[in-house]
Amino acid sequence: MKITRRDVLLGATATAALAPLGARAQTSEVVIGVIYPLSGASAQIGVDAQKAFETAADLINKNYDFELPLAKGEGIPGLGGAKVRLVFADHQADPQKGRAEAERLITQEKVCAVIGTYQSAVAVTVSQICERYGVPFLSADNSSPSLHRRGLKFYFRAAPHDEMFSQAMFDFFDAMKKKGTKIDTLALFHEDTIFGTDSGNAQLKLANERGYKIATDIKYRANSPSLSAEVQQLKAANADVLMPSSYTTDGILLVKTMAELGYKPNAIVAQDAGFSEKALYDAVGDKLEGVISRGSFSLDLAEKRPMVGKINDMFKARSGKDFNDYSSRQFMGLIVMAEAINRAKSTDGEKIREALVATDLPGEQTIMPWKRVKFDSMGQNNDADPVLLQYIGGKFVTIFPPQAAVAQAVWPMK
Amino acid sequence: MTAETIIQSLASGLLMGLLYGLIAVGLALIFGLMDVVNFAHGEFLMIAMYITFFLFAFFALDPLLSMPLVAAALFVFGAVVYLLIVRFAVRAKANAGMVQIFSTFGLAIVMRGLAQYFFTPDYRSVNHSWLGGKTVSIGGIFLPQPQLFGALVAILAFVGLYFFINRTDFGRALEATREDAGAVALVGIDKNRVFALGWGLGAALVGLSGAIMATFFYIYPDVGASFALIAYITVALGGFGSVFGAFAGGIIVGLVEAATALMLPPALKSVGIYAVYLLVVFVRPRGLFGSM
Repeated sequence: MKITRRDVLLGATATAALAPLGARAQTSEVVIGVIYPLSGASAQIGVDAQKAFETAADLINKNYDFELPLAKGEGIPGLGGAKVRLVFADHQADPQKGRAEAERLITQEKVCAVIGTYQSAVAVTVSQICERYGVPFLSADNSSPSLHRRGLKFYFRAAPHDEMFSQAMFDFFDAMKKKGTKIDTLALFHEDTIFGTDSGNAQLKLANERGYKIATDIKYRANSPSLSAEVQQLKAANADVLMPSSYTTDGILLVKTMAELGYKPNAIVAQDAGFSEKALYDAVGDKLEGVISRGSFSLDLAEKRPMVGKINDMFKARSGKDFNDYSSRQFMGLIVMAEAINRAKSTDGEKIREALVATDLPGEQTIMPWKRVKFDSMGQNNDADPVLLQYIGGKFVTIFPPQAAVAQAVWPMK
Repeated sequence: MTAETIIQSLASGLLMGLLYGLIAVGLALIFGLMDVVNFAHGEFLMIAMYITFFLFAFFALDPLLSMPLVAAALFVFGAVVYLLIVRFAVRAKANAGMVQIFSTFGLAIVMRGLAQYFFTPDYRSVNHSWLGGKTVSIGGIFLPQPQLFGALVAILAFVGLYFFINRTDFGRALEATREDAGAVALVGIDKNRVFALGWGLGAALVGLSGAIMATFFYIYPDVGASFALIAYITVALGGFGSVFGAFAGGIIVGLVEAATALMLPPALKSVGIYAVYLLVVFVRPRGLFGSM
C-alpha cells in the first residue's frame, strides 16, 4: 500500500481528534488535593503529613496484602484501576492562603476531592470553598467541634472532634475519682485560635456539668516568645490537673518554662496537638514522664492487628518517624476518601459525596481503634472512639478506655 | 495577687527585656550606621541558633563555649551580606528605599526557605546544656540560669559596645561615617569597609543572643519572626539608630510585657507593648533616645 502525504495528514488529524476521547474514557488517574502547612511555623506537620499521604497512595496504587480498603490490587478498581495522584498545596497555617490554594486546587489542578488541613482555622475557609464548587472535603485531622456544625453538604470527618476527646478525659477523671484519686480542680491552658478556643470551651462545659472546679482558665497568644507570666498563673492556681491545648512550639516552651519556674503539676492531661509530636518529647521528654494525652491512634494496636505495625514500618521508611495521632489520621483520611471514590465509580463531586454519605467501614479495616467509619447527617463519624495515652519510659501506652487499655494510669505523674 | 507574683513577673520581664535589647541592638547599630533597616534580622537570629544547635549536636560543644564561635561566624555572615547584597542595594538610582527594603526582605525569605530545605522544618532543641533547665531560687523567686546568663552577656555587650564606639579608632570611624559618609571618604576612610564591619558587628551581636536563646528556646526555620517583630518595636521605642536606646527599649518592652500580663488576660499581653510604642510615637516620634 502506498501512503501519501495526505493519508499521513488525515491519520494524524484523526488521532489527534480522538486522543482526548480515549483519555477521558479511561480516567487513568484520580487527582486528590491535599492541603497542609508545608512552610511557616508548623511546616514540620505538613512535611510529615506529606509522607503519610504518600504512604496511603502507595498502598492504594500498588498491590499489598492488608485487610484495608483498596490495598489489594492496583489502583481504584471502580474506575478501571485508575491510580491516585496527590497534588499538595501549602497554606502556611493562614486561613486566607488556604482559601486561595483550595480554589487553585479545584479550578487549576482539577482535583475531585480535597483533604486537609491540620489547623482547624484553615479548615473553615478551605471547606467553604469546596462547598461552593461542590467538591467533597474531608478533615483528616482537624478536631474543632464547630467544623461539622455549619450545615455544609460536602464536609466529612472520620476522626473524633474535641468534644468527644474531652468527654473521654472527663470519663477518665470520673473513673479515677471512683478509685479514690483526688481530682477536684482543673487548670485550662489553651491557645487563642479556633483549636484552643473550641477545646477550652468544651472542657469548661464538661467541667461545669460534672462538678469539677476550674482553678484557672488561661487563653494565651500562640507562638509567644515567652510564657513566664502564663506559667506563673498556673503555678499560683496549682490545680490537680493541668489541661493544655497547645501546638508543638508553645508546648515545648510551656514545659521548659514550668521547669524553670519550679512548677510541677500533679498530672497533665493534654489535648493532643503538640503533645503527640516527637519533637516535643525530643526537646522536653525528660520532664514529661507520665504525661497523658488524648489520641485517636496507638501503636499498641499492632499487637491485636498486625497490619498496623507493618503499615507503620512503611511510613517509618519514608519519614523516619512512627505514626502518631496526626499522621495516622492523615493516612486514614486518604483511604476513606479513596474508598468512597471507588464506590462512586466516578470523579464527579456529587457522586463522591453520595458515596461518602453511604460509607460504612468496619473498624477492623482501619489502622485506628475506631468502631467503624460511618458519617452522620453533618458529616461527622461518631463511632471514632478516642483513647487516652500515657507517656511512660519513652513511649505511649493506652490507659483508657478500659477495653483498649494495656496498662493502668500512673497518677500522680513523676 | 501576692507580692511574690509581682516580683517574679517583673524579674522574668527584666531578664527577658535585657535579651530583647541584645537581639535588637544589631538592628539599631546597622540602621544608625547607614539608614538601612535589616528585614532579615530575625533570620540572622535563626541562623545563629542553628549554628549553636549543630555545634552542640555534632561536636558536643556547649552553647557557652560555642558562643564566641557563633558570634564570629555571624560577623563574617553579616559582612558578606553587606558586600554581596546591601552594598548594591544602596546604590540603586531610583526608589532606593524600596530597593533596600525588598533586598533584605527577599534575603529573609530566601534564608527561611533554605533553612527549611536543608535543616528540615523539625523543631530542634539543645538538650542537656550546662545551663539549660537550671534555675536559681532566691526567696521563692525563680530565675532561670539561661536567661540570667543572657542578661549578664547583654549588660557586658552593651558596656563593651559603649567603650568600643567611644574609645577606639574604629568606633570613631563608625560614628564619623554615620554622620557624614562623604566627608569621611575625603579623609581617606574606606566607607565600604566601615559599613561591612558595621554589618559584621551587628550580626555578631545577634549571634551572641542566638547562642543564649538556643539554650532555652526551640529552634526552627521561622523562629526569627516573633523575635524580629519585638526587635523592631524595641528599636523604634528606643530611637532608631541609638544603640543605648535599644538597651533601654529592650528593658522597657520586657517590663511592660510582664506588667500587662499581670493585669490583663495573657492573650492580650502584647497589647501593653504596642500601647507604649504608640504613646512614644505620638509624644516623641524619633523614639526615646533617637537623634534624627
